[in-house]
Amino acid sequence: MVDPLQSPEEVEGRTERRRFVLEETGFDEVPKRYRKFYRKWRGPGDQLGPNEAICPVCKVVIRSSRELWPGDRLYCMPCMSRLVVVESADGTLEARVSY
Amino acid sequence: MGTAPVREVHDLEHERFLEEVHSFEFWFHSVEGYLSGTTYGHREETVDDSPSGAVDRQHLITVLSNYCIGEMAALEGASGLIAIAPNQLTKIFLSTQVADEGRHLEVLLHRMRDLGVKYPAQEADRRASRGLKQFRHELLRLVQGRDWEAAIFAQNVILESLEFAVFRAHAEGADPVTKEILDGIIKDERRHIGFGENELGRRLHAAPHVRTRLARVREELDHLILDMLEDSSREIGVEPDRKAELARAYLQSVERLGFT
Ligand SMILES: [Fe+2]
Ligand SMILES: [Fe+2]
Ligand SMILES: [Zn+2]
Repeated sequence: MVDPLQSPEEVEGRTERRRFVLEETGFDEVPKRYRKFYRKWRGPGDQLGPNEAICPVCKVVIRSSRELWPGDRLYCMPCMSRLVVVESADGTLEARVSY
Repeated sequence: MGTAPVREVHDLEHERFLEEVHSFEFWFHSVEGYLSGTTYGHREETVDDSPSGAVDRQHLITVLSNYCIGEMAALEGASGLIAIAPNQLTKIFLSTQVADEGRHLEVLLHRMRDLGVKYPAQEADRRASRGLKQFRHELLRLVQGRDWEAAIFAQNVILESLEFAVFRAHAEGADPVTKEILDGIIKDERRHIGFGENELGRRLHAAPHVRTRLARVREELDHLILDMLEDSSREIGVEPDRKAELARAYLQSVERLGFT
């Protein structure tokens, strides 16, 4: 899903990361204050935003207030995993577990 | 960790993150989100559209019987593991897992009673597959042998990944009450599989020699697991190509830990 940009004018140069305003999407598996950082994968028609990745362990969508870049660290609270964002062979970004 | 708004959860220090997600406090506010307002794992107002045909009903009862024995194994396993857990964080986390597994067993037995089974515990024991009972026996043997890595591997990686895959597949086509019960269990199981994989991943990294021992455990348990997968897929009516997907889902976590 595409979250609203925090400051749309930042898109211009693209040397800066885009920042997003996260809202809760009904995800209820973590304490309230963390809920906006996660959402359910809605199936084949769903798409990941530039600030989102799927947790390979538990298949939840992890969200960040920043656009994701390779090397970023993510935490999946629903399954307690630490992940790192990598660029996969087809050029898309994916999260890998980092024990 | 308090109640102040969190700007970016991914900026937490790893130590702080681990402390948070292993805590009773975190567990309590997590389950509160999806269990409050439910009775025995489902909302009262959900229409009970369980199979009315005798054959389908018996089928569902057999499936639930197997789940009950799996949950019983996890309950006994997790509670036994507390005594041999290496530190306070893992002991506290396991106490929450014990509560989860006790709840799973209870709601599944309750569902069997809903379906007309008078003595669900006895019936579950009578109907559950031999492979599953043997797995339970092997798991408890590892726990009693105080082998932390092997027991966590057997329970939180092997058994729970299988359960996670099977419950997800079953929930897709289940009647509404069974689906709600399974959806709630799946949310709990996310923590358990993640705990197992991450705990073992860290330990294998620190002590690579453990790998040989775990590979042997896997070899001993693999046939039981694949038999269980075969049985469960048949009982919940999984199509052959979907069955391969289930097996893959189970194998993925084992492979991520470096076992091929
Ligand atoms: Fe369970
Ligand atoms: Fe579990
Ligand atoms: Zn996860």
